[in-house]
Amino acid sequence: MPTILLVEDNEMNRDMLSRRLKRRGFDVEMAVDGREGVEMARTGGYDLILMDMSLPEIDGWEATRQLRASRQTEKIPIIALTAHAMAGDREKALEAGCDEYDTKPIELDRLLSKINALLNAST
Amino acid sequence: MNGVPFPDAPLTSDAAKQLRHELRTPVNHIVGYAEMLLEDAVDPSLADRRTALQQTIDAAREVLTLINATLPSTRTEIPVSDVVSLYTSLRGPQERIVRAIGRLRRASGPAADPELEADLDRILRAAERLVPDAADDEQRGVRGTGTPADEGGDGRTTTRLLVVDDDPDNREVLRRRLEREGHRAECAEDGDRALEMVAEQQFDLVLLDVMMPGKDGYEVLEELKGSPETRDIPVIMISALDDIRSVVRCIEGGAEDYLPKPFDPILLRARINASLEKKHLRDQEIEYLRQVELVADAAAAVEAGEYRSGSLSSVGRRADELGRLARVFDGMAEQVRAREGRLRDQVRELREEIDAARSESPRDEAVGGEITLAAGERFADRYEIVGAVGYGAMGTVYRAHDLELEEDVAIKTLRSEFVSNPDSVERFKGEIRLARRISHPNVVRTHDFGEAAGVYYLTMEYVEGLTLHQLIESRGVLGVAAVLAIGAQLAESLAVAHEQGVIHRDIKPGNLLLDAAGVLKVMDFGVARLAEGTTTLTQAGSIVGTPAYMSPEQLLGEAADARSDLYSVGVVLYECLTGQLPLDAASTISLIAKVLNVEPRPVSELNDEVPEALSALIARLLEKSADARVSDAALLGEELSRLSLF
Repeated sequence: MPTILLVEDNEMNRDMLSRRLKRRGFDVEMAVDGREGVEMARTGGYDLILMDMSLPEIDGWEATRQLRASRQTEKIPIIALTAHAMAGDREKALEAGCDEYDTKPIELDRLLSKINALLNAST
Repeated sequence: MNGVPFPDAPLTSDAAKQLRHELRTPVNHIVGYAEMLLEDAVDPSLADRRTALQQTIDAAREVLTLINATLPSTRTEIPVSDVVSLYTSLRGPQERIVRAIGRLRRASGPAADPELEADLDRILRAAERLVPDAADDEQRGVRGTGTPADEGGDGRTTTRLLVVDDDPDNREVLRRRLEREGHRAECAEDGDRALEMVAEQQFDLVLLDVMMPGKDGYEVLEELKGSPETRDIPVIMISALDDIRSVVRCIEGGAEDYLPKPFDPILLRARINASLEKKHLRDQEIEYLRQVELVADAAAAVEAGEYRSGSLSSVGRRADELGRLARVFDGMAEQVRAREGRLRDQVRELREEIDAARSESPRDEAVGGEITLAAGERFADRYEIVGAVGYGAMGTVYRAHDLELEEDVAIKTLRSEFVSNPDSVERFKGEIRLARRISHPNVVRTHDFGEAAGVYYLTMEYVEGLTLHQLIESRGVLGVAAVLAIGAQLAESLAVAHEQGVIHRDIKPGNLLLDAAGVLKVMDFGVARLAEGTTTLTQAGSIVGTPAYMSPEQLLGEAADARSDLYSVGVVLYECLTGQLPLDAASTISLIAKVLNVEPRPVSELNDEVPEALSALIARLLEKSADARVSDAALLGEELSRLSLF
């Protein structure tokens, strides 16, 4: 069963998305800010990271760069989640080292297909 | 924070981004939780729950569409009115969500399913965050322009919209859509009909098709915006053309907004609401300016003496600063009016005194003076002497007819000893130049200074009436109200003269004229100056300036100032109320000694009708030290009018 690390500071977002992913058969663990996200990722065992980009402590962009810079975590697929849907956000996310990009509000099916595509590619 | 913030200024693109995020986050929550609950509600018995959840999801998606339409990432600046109308348009879907979730909570019953309860609560909390607090709205005076159904019957009137389109199907579709939104919609099939309807009826907004046979939308727009009666009605242009040139042409023509056909109903609603909101704010502003104008008019009316109290009551009901100003103003105007009323009563009493005096003793011909001009004589090639009307220490006063201006004037000839010194004549001319500048109903107008056949003379406005001296002679003691009328007018004339730098120096009852209407006029401004620098004692052995009315400083030959005139006013008022001078003596020398050393008896001791406060005020005018007196004539006028309250 794939394990997903959800890095998200908003309590309601975290609660909702984690529950929905669990319903789809994923194990979900959660971090509340970028620093915790990076620390948890280093302990290993995650198949994919969902990274909110606007986070306290270390934001999603910086957290992604740190994950990519470390051998332990460089290969974990990361999907960036942003609220802004700005033209250019996607490129910016990929540049920072994310593998995919999705916008909030989350459309679960769209997100699931992206998750599955990345998981299939990495196995 | 409960609810999104309310903008004060147009949103920059960063602020718009932020707002978009803040609005989309709760939408995200609503959709997410509702979808989960929908997934759980598979049992056929839960059809109602599925319906309610689906309604919630639909409403949330509508919110998303509205947000994206108003706050697209491509817009660089979003006007406040757009945000306001976005909030307004969010209320509908928000309410549907709250209603649907409320239904679900009631159906599930308390504590029947704690997890479901918690999720429904989350959805409700998220829905609350969609629009700013209602209280916040009220504070800012922002009223929704949504449909009346949204407003819940708080007395707001339905808006009237005019749809102008040549295509009957388009008209009908639009009309029905607008009516569903709670507006009242009328239709016009062409431009001429539209202009006719706008001229006859009140519309809050016009939706105008661009391409029409006959008058096209541009022409109709031009006519609407060209007329002062209709230019404030917002116009939204609707057309299949969505090329930039036509949009620019519409906006330049004064259109509020532009919608391409086929229109998006949500966009249509958002733009209509935004336009109506803008109009509403503009109407408020116009109303505000109208009320400011009312206050300004009221101020002018007070000045003209035509203010009717309560005429600002509509403005006075406002809760803001303008309302307070109107209320304070109305109160002040009422006081002024009451004061004027009292003054009128006082003048009426004065007039009665004057009438009585005239019936008792017909005006005396001047006697015992040095009469050099005979009745019927032509003087200075311009005046025909009517007769001598007065005699004073300075000279004789004649009534004469000005043949050039065809009106009566008073001519005062000056005794030769006052005009023998060229320096003093020069100084006198300067004083007369100053005095001529005083134009006031309570001042006898000085016309001219001249010399003819060796006689120096002054010409002045001729006033038909009697002097206060004659009035006192005739009546003995005057009533308090009449004296207040005299004092008020005297104070006013002196305030004006002093302001112009003219000191009278010889205020006494003989220099105060009263006409039949009770108007007091002070004469001989500046004339006493002539006596200064010449001999202090006249041939008759009396001091020029009538010592009984002169201030101590004048008697001592010191410089006179405005306060010296006020001392004289004190003597005049004292005499009016008591029939006697405050200090009297057989000779000038002993008078001077008294004026310098003796305190006069208070007026109230001699006349028990005189209020203590008036008696005290006169005593303050009669202070021997100028510094201790009432400091200026305007202040004296104020104190007298305050006394009138008793």
